[in-house]
Amino acid sequence: MSPTHSLPLLLLISLLLISTSTSSSDSDRVSELQSLQSRSKSGIIHLDDHSVSRYLTSTKTPRPYYLLIFFDATQLHDKSELQLKTLHSEFSLLAQSFLTNNPNPSPSDPNLFFCDIEFKESQQSFALFGVNALPHIRLVAPHHSPKQSEQMDQGDFSRLAESMADFVQAKTKLNVGPIHRPPFLSTKQLAFIVLATLIWIPFAIKKIVKGETLLHDPKLWLSGSVFIYFFSVSGAMHNIIRKMPMFLADRNDPNKLIFFYQGSGMQLGAEGFAIGFLYTIVGLLLAFVTHLLVKVRNLNVQRFVMIVTLFVSFWAVKKVVYLDNWKTGYGIHGFWPSSWK
Amino acid sequence: MAASETSNGTALRYAFGNVLSFFILLLIGVLAFSIRLFSVIKYESVIHEFDPYFNYRVTQYLTKNGIYDFWNWFDDRTWYPLGRVIGGTVYPGLTLTAGTLYWILNSLNIPLSVETVCVFTAPIFSAFASWATYLLTKEVKGAGAGLTAAVLLAMVPSYISRSVAGSYDNEAVAIFALIFTFFLYIKTLNTGSLFYATLNAIAYFYMVCSWGGYTFIINLIPMHVLLCIVTGRYSSRLYIAYAPLVVLGTLLASLVPVVGFNAVLTSEHFGSFLVFIIIHVVALVYYIKGILSPKMFKVAVTLVVSIGLVVCCAVIAVLVALVASSPTKGWSGRSLSLLDPTYASKYIPIIASVSEHQPPTWPSYFMDINVLAFLVPAGIIACFSPLSDASSFVVLYIVTSVYFSGVMVRLMLVFAPAACIMSGIALSASFDVFTRSIKFQLPGVKGNSQVDAGETSSEGVVAQNEVAKTDKNEEALKERPSKKNRKKEKEHVEKPSVKAQMKKRLLVLPFEASIIAILLLILLGAFYVVHSVWAAAEAYSAPSIVLTSYSHDGLHVFDDFREAYSWLSHNTEVDDKVASWWDYGYQTTAMANRTVIVDNNTWNNTHIATVGTAMSSPEKAAWEIFDSLDVKYVLVVFGGLVGYPSDDINKFLWMVRIGGGVFPHIKEPDYLRDGQYRIDSQATPTMLNCLMYKLSYYRFVETDGKAFDRVRRTEIGKKHFKLTHFEEVFTTHHWMVRIYKLKPQKNRIRGKAKKSRSKASSTTSTKRSETQRKNPWH
Repeated sequence: MSPTHSLPLLLLISLLLISTSTSSSDSDRVSELQSLQSRSKSGIIHLDDHSVSRYLTSTKTPRPYYLLIFFDATQLHDKSELQLKTLHSEFSLLAQSFLTNNPNPSPSDPNLFFCDIEFKESQQSFALFGVNALPHIRLVAPHHSPKQSEQMDQGDFSRLAESMADFVQAKTKLNVGPIHRPPFLSTKQLAFIVLATLIWIPFAIKKIVKGETLLHDPKLWLSGSVFIYFFSVSGAMHNIIRKMPMFLADRNDPNKLIFFYQGSGMQLGAEGFAIGFLYTIVGLLLAFVTHLLVKVRNLNVQRFVMIVTLFVSFWAVKKVVYLDNWKTGYGIHGFWPSSWK
Repeated sequence: MAASETSNGTALRYAFGNVLSFFILLLIGVLAFSIRLFSVIKYESVIHEFDPYFNYRVTQYLTKNGIYDFWNWFDDRTWYPLGRVIGGTVYPGLTLTAGTLYWILNSLNIPLSVETVCVFTAPIFSAFASWATYLLTKEVKGAGAGLTAAVLLAMVPSYISRSVAGSYDNEAVAIFALIFTFFLYIKTLNTGSLFYATLNAIAYFYMVCSWGGYTFIINLIPMHVLLCIVTGRYSSRLYIAYAPLVVLGTLLASLVPVVGFNAVLTSEHFGSFLVFIIIHVVALVYYIKGILSPKMFKVAVTLVVSIGLVVCCAVIAVLVALVASSPTKGWSGRSLSLLDPTYASKYIPIIASVSEHQPPTWPSYFMDINVLAFLVPAGIIACFSPLSDASSFVVLYIVTSVYFSGVMVRLMLVFAPAACIMSGIALSASFDVFTRSIKFQLPGVKGNSQVDAGETSSEGVVAQNEVAKTDKNEEALKERPSKKNRKKEKEHVEKPSVKAQMKKRLLVLPFEASIIAILLLILLGAFYVVHSVWAAAEAYSAPSIVLTSYSHDGLHVFDDFREAYSWLSHNTEVDDKVASWWDYGYQTTAMANRTVIVDNNTWNNTHIATVGTAMSSPEKAAWEIFDSLDVKYVLVVFGGLVGYPSDDINKFLWMVRIGGGVFPHIKEPDYLRDGQYRIDSQATPTMLNCLMYKLSYYRFVETDGKAFDRVRRTEIGKKHFKLTHFEEVFTTHHWMVRIYKLKPQKNRIRGKAKKSRSKASSTTSTKRSETQRKNPWH
């Protein structure tokens, strides 16, 4: 349990103890939720089994508020493919943006509260909603019971907070407004960077004039350009844009991993790097032979190294041709005169 | 005496080499031209795909009405009711080129049709492009590398894909212009001649006329200049190569209507201006350094640096403010998605929707440049030993273009020439080493009989040429302040060349291993040839307007598109409006000569979204949208019967997305069942009731009784339904194109309708009355 969660929880429990003694009308519940919301730093109310029953199941519909619930599980945070952490932070971003965009909601509109539930401490609620897979976000409308509530589709959080906002806007008819993302660099950091660059510029100019920077080292440029070449031909850009994993687990046999994906429209990370390596190594070996090996005096060393090089290059080309034919399914063939057959 | 004899011999060898190179180049031109004729041989002499049809139509207009009418052409046959200013919104280079070709041929009494000229423009220019590659690579690493690079470029699959006969598109001439501009830049850089600098600006102008990719040039050359300055390679030649290009080039570029003031106002060009300022500052510094003593110079530097920094900061602040004031930071969406690759997929669906804007995977590299992918790293290393101004430029070219090609598969086209140049250099360098090793270790040849060897064995000739070439090359790499000095230098070089050859003799590899290596390299080259010919013949020659398929009972030809377009042109009124998804806009205007609502020039997102919305709405709403646009016919492309995968149903989600981007009542999730796009019985009701579904699958069940869609491999969800607001008027032989007519509006109240009818008849045009006569039931 992270400390950010435990504090609101304590508050919640204490608040619950106080509030149970008083009458629990709808307006009380709203004000309780509002105060809980204002105490939470992220704008998300942390629910548990008690509070779920208090704000959802024990109330009569229609409730005067919507609840958007994020189902969380701390033990799954380290599973990167679920992206629970990113989604949770996006969810809190959505909550904060909603609060800043609607500081004084009009009384006629129903309220919207952003909540999260942790699996370990509120397993009953998970069962109540019938949640058995994460990530899972649900919107409980005023007239809905937990089971009837609407689930946010995979597609609705694919574009993170923006698409969640679209979902909320579509279902609640409430205006979320633009998402306020924290700037990449805070103003202080920015000022520091600008200052540092200003101080650094004169020194840099001096060095450039003298001609003794790293930039004057051709070896650096050489390795840089070969690296960019390797990076591009391995299709790494595709992996970044499409967020492809390095490998997949085999569906039929979970212990086996798939490194190569059949079908030319897609590739896996490790696959791309492997082929990019094969693409690059042949050229590097060729350059090695023609530029460095010629300077070696010992004939036998030359002979041995060349044989190895030729063998490796031949193998690499053959492997790529084979893998390409396998992946794309093209049958590349020559066009020979028909009399030759 | 002996010395004069040898010099005579070398002169003869040079002459022989030049003649040989000339014939090789001629053959390369023939190769480049003929490898692109597969499409004509396998299909027919026909314009391909979509955009070429527009270019063809523009060329027709140009040859018929002349250049001034073309310049002022307002096209009312497209983007109805907005129209489009063609003269001011197209890159005129291709059209003018083909128009000029047509005009020259006709004035020579060679009566070719405009279509034939258009079909063969691309192959002709690919021959030019390979010659330009020869020139460029020759400037970098000598004639041997040049010839190799030219051969490779003549048949590089990536370039073939855009320049087969019939692929009449901007890229066909633009790649030639690109390489030629680079060649002239390098030539200016090597010679420092203003003549070449001016030619360079003109070549750049031609490039600006031809293709939007000219921004690549105007960013790459400044980058190279900056690189040279930063690494301490500034020279007066660099100044001559760059400054005139920016001034003249920008002036000329702004003469092209489609570019106009963009040449000075958009961020794509700012880099060149910044470098223009920097190179002047640097030139001034070098000048002052020359006239001042070192001590005075130090004082001056501190003075200038402090003042210069202040000025620079002010200028940069103004620039930043200018750039920041525009919403996209002054960059067009396409360029932005190059810098931030994830940009387009997030914000511009219409760019992300185009398949050629996707990032490529590794097989695309193997498909498009094949074995060159293996050779490029060797070429890069060869360029670094030794690093000259020219070779650093090619290195920069390959590094930037390979990165861009990694972002967008379409930019593979810019990368391909660079890959050819690099591989040419690599191959030539390795052949140089291996043939040298063989030549000097031939069993029969011993001692100092190098001249004999050159005349006895054929390999020897190659090696000799190569050696001579490298000598020449070494000379080229030296600083050449003026022509006079160069001549002197040449005389100097002659003598030590013998010594250099002696030295080179020592740099050899084992004899047998070299033979194996050469054989393997030749094998690699042979594989490249086989692959390229296969790609040209099988993969890239389909015109996509005529489709073929092989099955067990022979060849099938699907000519449905032309069938549909000719039906439209023969059976509809000249002024009727035809609505279809934008892909078919150019073809409809060019082949059917009917007005379309949207076409492949996607300049107005709202208009496209309107059509997308209509296609994704139920029948009645769609009818209202189309009626408000005066549409008479709706054309849909349907591949379910023959299994043609790029039909409208497969493109439909993009219609929804683009439509929903402007009209929020269209929501993508309504068309998806659990995030999956399907048209079978599990499909959502919105999907089953939208216009696109109905127009595609109307009466489909009558074909086989089960309504099995061969593309989606499923039975469709709703089989029996009637159309209320549309009627089917034409369906092509294989059902690939279906044309529907909007039903006329129903009469609501008899009396009112009569009144309006009588009113209308009093004011009808002659055309209206004609149609009434044709159809007595109305």
